[in-house]
Amino acid sequence: MTARRVLNVLRKEWAVMAASVSNLLYVVLIPLLLTGQALFLIWLVSRFVAGQTATAAMLQAAPQATAGVLPNLSAADQFRVLLLSQFHFFLLVVPAMIANVFATLSIVEEKITRTLEPLLATPVRTWELLAGKALSGAIPAFLAAWTCAGIFVGAAIGLGWGHLLRFILSPTWYLTLFLLTPAVAVMSFVLGVIGSSRASDPKGAQGIAVVIVFPIFALIGVQVTGLVWFTPTLTLILALGIGAIDLVLIRVAVRLFQRESIIVRWR
Amino acid sequence: MIETAKLTRRFGDRLAVKALTLTVNAGEILGFLGPNGAGKTTTIRMLAGIIAPTSGHAMVAGIRPDREPERLHEVIGLLPEAPGFYERLSARRNLQYFAGFYSNRDIATQAEKYLALMGLQDRRDDRVASFSKGMKQRLALARALLHEPKVLFLDEPTAGLDPEVAREFRDLIKDLSGEGRTIFLCTHNLTEAEQLCDRIAVVRTQLIALDTPENLRQRQFRRQVVVKLESVDDDLLKAVGDLPFVQDVQRQENRLTVALSDPDRDRPELAARIVQAGGRILEISEERRSLEDVYLSLVHEEEAS
Repeated sequence: MTARRVLNVLRKEWAVMAASVSNLLYVVLIPLLLTGQALFLIWLVSRFVAGQTATAAMLQAAPQATAGVLPNLSAADQFRVLLLSQFHFFLLVVPAMIANVFATLSIVEEKITRTLEPLLATPVRTWELLAGKALSGAIPAFLAAWTCAGIFVGAAIGLGWGHLLRFILSPTWYLTLFLLTPAVAVMSFVLGVIGSSRASDPKGAQGIAVVIVFPIFALIGVQVTGLVWFTPTLTLILALGIGAIDLVLIRVAVRLFQRESIIVRWR
Repeated sequence: MIETAKLTRRFGDRLAVKALTLTVNAGEILGFLGPNGAGKTTTIRMLAGIIAPTSGHAMVAGIRPDREPERLHEVIGLLPEAPGFYERLSARRNLQYFAGFYSNRDIATQAEKYLALMGLQDRRDDRVASFSKGMKQRLALARALLHEPKVLFLDEPTAGLDPEVAREFRDLIKDLSGEGRTIFLCTHNLTEAEQLCDRIAVVRTQLIALDTPENLRQRQFRRQVVVKLESVDDDLLKAVGDLPFVQDVQRQENRLTVALSDPDRDRPELAARIVQAGGRILEISEERRSLEDVYLSLVHEEEAS
């Protein structure tokens, strides 16, 4: 019964999302734009910096862990590997944004259409409702991230960087894609729900949600700026840590999703 | 079927519902009347297990709404004040979604059955956004009935509907009552309440009165007959006033308003006495107070107290 209800919520969320061209475009276009932008920047930077003295200086500044495993590559290729290796972390923006958009739109939709009251008069439990909503946001979020990763790999081969993939598709890459991405998608969605639940109106919900996901962007920032270099072990610890936080956040979200206050306060 | 005992709800410092105690029998239509902000919707939400009471308790179909809301929701249907649909989805998709939360129901069959019953089968695949208010309201009633509930909570079901649709809606409510469902009807429409309800509860945060419309009328106003005459003089007025069963008599030009202890029994004798006193009667009828008069009188009394 529970699985049927969760699936029921999930199918409805997708149907509502698919019925809105603007929402659908947002979910499809944002990941593609981010991937295209990342590739373009990598191509641009590596084209103009390759072979120049600045490359060597920048590589020297890069963490020894990375520089040390690329002994047989030219300075230009080493630089490309360095840049391309940032992509999987940069890709975390996709699940963070998509899941958050799903969360706020989903809760705000219930408010605007005033469907929450008849919905809460059915036997659905709060956690079933939130689980269905969370999956409806998390699944497209990490599917989009994986699709973007596939496009990225294809584009890298197309740009003649195929021989570098064995350095880029590292354990960290796979751990990020298949553990960290879903964990971040769930976290972003749940934070969006918490923000939406506490807001007194739909605009406030979106505002709070944006602020709440900021730490996820900060996480991406510390990696791409090289402040912290995520090794496979560190990535695994981070993914498991976020997964654990997700479990706590889900419980918090269920507690904070106070049916009464949403029905009574949101007018 | 519905019982409440000192059901109370506060929102911060504001008391929305105060110590509401009432019983609604199985198969009965109870009209729940009160001015805006009287706590009608809050009461429905508490009885439907959507919000919890601050104190007191309720039993609906033998279930405590605050303790077992999921079990309760299998046996009740709610038509909220705002219909509430996913406007970009079709009528059928909306019904299928809501039906998908109930156990042991053939979702597709139930949705089709009630779309047909509400006359919406031709528009079932249209987006709800394209529906009129009346159609949305009918769809909302269909949704409330999908799981064949024993108890229905209807919050302002005909508000904003045109007279023809409102009448269709009232007929539907009568039919539902005829099927043995218990209906808790929250309305501002006093004519509707009088036509549909077995009993009326008047509330203003707390329960002011609860009885049949007729008993409320009698309780609030004396029964009076109005006699129109060709002319009225003081002798005639005195002759009527001296009758033992006359409680009060008022004259307005050629019209007498006479309060009687039992108009059905006393009216013939009153007519005979008037004729005997030389009066020529043009018309004699009982003055019937509307439910609106009763309601306003009750609310004003409560306000004054």
